[in-house]
Amino acid sequence: MTATSQHGFHPDAESLSALSEQALEGRERAEVLAHLAVCGRCRQVVALAREAADAGAVTAAAPPRKAIEPNAWWKQWRLVWVPTAVVAAFAAASISVYIEQADRHGPNIKVAEQHTTQGAAPASAPAPTEQAEAVPPASPAPAPPPAHAAKHAHPAEAEQMPAPAPPAVAAQMPPEPSAPEPGAVDQVEVARERPPLSGAEEQQAPPELTAGTIRPAYSQPASGAWEAKQKQAEQQRQAEVDTSQMRFRKFKAAPAAVHGANVAPPAGATETVTVTAAPPLETQPVALAEPAPMLEIKSSRGVSTPARPLQLPSGLAAVSIASGGHFLLAIDKAGALFLSEDQGATWERIATQWTGRAVAVRQQARDHGALRAAPAAQNGTTGRSSPDAGSAPSLTVFFELSNNKNQTWVSTDGRTWTSK
Amino acid sequence: MAPTESVASAAETGIPNGTAALDRALADELWRGCDAAGWGLTRDEFEQILLDAGTARNFGLAEVSIATPATPKQQAAFFRGLCVADLALARACARGNERAWEHFVAVYRQPLTRAAIAITGSETLGRDLAEQLYAELYGLNMREGQRRCPLLSYRGRGSLMAWLRTTLAQRHVDHYRRTRREEPIEGFDAPAPDPPPQTPSRELSLLERSIEQAVSGRDAEDRYLLAAYYLDGQTLLGIARVLGVHEATVSRKLRRAADQIRKQILRNLECNGMSRRAAQEAMGADPRDLEVNLKKLLQNSQSEAFQEQAAS
Repeated sequence: MTATSQHGFHPDAESLSALSEQALEGRERAEVLAHLAVCGRCRQVVALAREAADAGAVTAAAPPRKAIEPNAWWKQWRLVWVPTAVVAAFAAASISVYIEQADRHGPNIKVAEQHTTQGAAPASAPAPTEQAEAVPPASPAPAPPPAHAAKHAHPAEAEQMPAPAPPAVAAQMPPEPSAPEPGAVDQVEVARERPPLSGAEEQQAPPELTAGTIRPAYSQPASGAWEAKQKQAEQQRQAEVDTSQMRFRKFKAAPAAVHGANVAPPAGATETVTVTAAPPLETQPVALAEPAPMLEIKSSRGVSTPARPLQLPSGLAAVSIASGGHFLLAIDKAGALFLSEDQGATWERIATQWTGRAVAVRQQARDHGALRAAPAAQNGTTGRSSPDAGSAPSLTVFFELSNNKNQTWVSTDGRTWTSK
Repeated sequence: MAPTESVASAAETGIPNGTAALDRALADELWRGCDAAGWGLTRDEFEQILLDAGTARNFGLAEVSIATPATPKQQAAFFRGLCVADLALARACARGNERAWEHFVAVYRQPLTRAAIAITGSETLGRDLAEQLYAELYGLNMREGQRRCPLLSYRGRGSLMAWLRTTLAQRHVDHYRRTRREEPIEGFDAPAPDPPPQTPSRELSLLERSIEQAVSGRDAEDRYLLAAYYLDGQTLLGIARVLGVHEATVSRKLRRAADQIRKQILRNLECNGMSRRAAQEAMGADPRDLEVNLKKLLQNSQSEAFQEQAAS
């Protein structure tokens, strides 16, 4: 008897186990297979050993079973949990979608046109289809909640909204530009929160101011020159946007806010404003010295949701987004940080400079000064379009990144991160 | 408690005196790769174990090259195909090293019991079977005054756990076959006596002979497939696990083997003077009219290799 056989006829256990583990080669494997072909006993041995190996593998892989109470009450309700869970999941999804849409459209509020107290619209002027005029409040009022303002954009509800500033502020959704009025004043951009005005300031302040972004839209009553003026205003507005983005990095123009209320060309000198709602974090004090042309501040929340779903290069969904200036930062589910400088058209992956997994990114700002709107108003230009007029707030915008251990890193350009 | 340390010499531990030289660099590498020193083996004993395993298989070379010593490269290829760490542990256990036994018990005793339960299908029988094998491994069986440890027959091909499972299966099958013959015959319903043999027609005789030739002409793997699937009723997945192929491959091979056997039978019938039409008609004969017992045909013939080994 050799080492490969047992009882004179059968291969030994090592040969059979080696066959099952594919450890035999060539002639030896053929010999064992030939024996298996004619030996039911060895086939049975191999089959039983294989079944034992499978059972051992399953036992090793299976988690320990928990003892289940035989009369557990919830076992009878097991089937009830399934539709309940489905309904709950659907409700949660609906709420999240609703909140997301509210957040998306909330910051963009088209606010009513501004009318000065200099006169009423002439009879020949075309009347606006919808117009809301807010009553100036007697006292300064806090800024309205952005989401609430977004939801109450209807003119009928505009009066119910709390006035955000000492000058009357109305928020509405004008489907058409405001009624032209000869002698209307320029537009003034104001912030959402203003310090209390002094008596002189209050007298000089325009009777009605619109919160948020106020755009000059139509200033010429003559309809023939309206197109040229419109182009000029559009160019000016674009320049203002660029300048504002450079100087007020904190305030980012939402795509929907850029397109204002210039639906129909009015003939009057009314001014239509568009408000982008902002959270209290981004408010800036404004000192108004006189009835000044409206400043335009395009502001948005620090964490803004783009109108279309972000397409990150990783293919994962974004869990946290922050925007500031022309920067757009997003963190995907894997914790990777991406930077876009063109509103999400192209993305650049930022190398990890932090520990742990990045879970949130947000925009922060340090306020080093107050918004001075008066010089800009005196110059007859908007605050946004005149960076040298001293109307720019001295804000330092930076981003904060948090990891899953609540540690924070800061960056000013989104690329270089330092521990806070 | 470890078994007695009376088994000390290399001969007693199944370590014969090697005749081939072992490459030193390879021995160093293998020595570092396994915890042989932790199991109480010296370097010389370890090398002797390797030599034993290598010379027993001629380092995986063909028998014609026995006279030619294996090169270091051939030795390395052979030893890297072995489970050297398991081999060292088995030999250390066979020697009675206590640390080796502690490790063996910690690693293998529970899987051994689970495997025995899976093999027998009964927890009681499984535990009995495992304990019996464990006692054998521990060296309680004595033969000619010497402790006999089955671990000495393990030479590193395949894992030690697979060897233990196969050994358990062998014990169980042998026990079952032994005890099945001892079943009481009370109430045994004796089969009816066979009808008187009828002289088969010429076509049936030719068909029987053709079938025998066609089946016996298949190669070993095909015959194993046919026997395991048609005789034992094993599943395609089970056969595939043994052969290390996908079950679809097993199915394909089975279908191909059946087709080729059928063609071979037709060819044999034609060679024996039957026309093709007559051969095809003969293939439609009722199998119950045939005296061919495939099980008998397959299992009564031992493979040549093991017949030679049995005779030696």
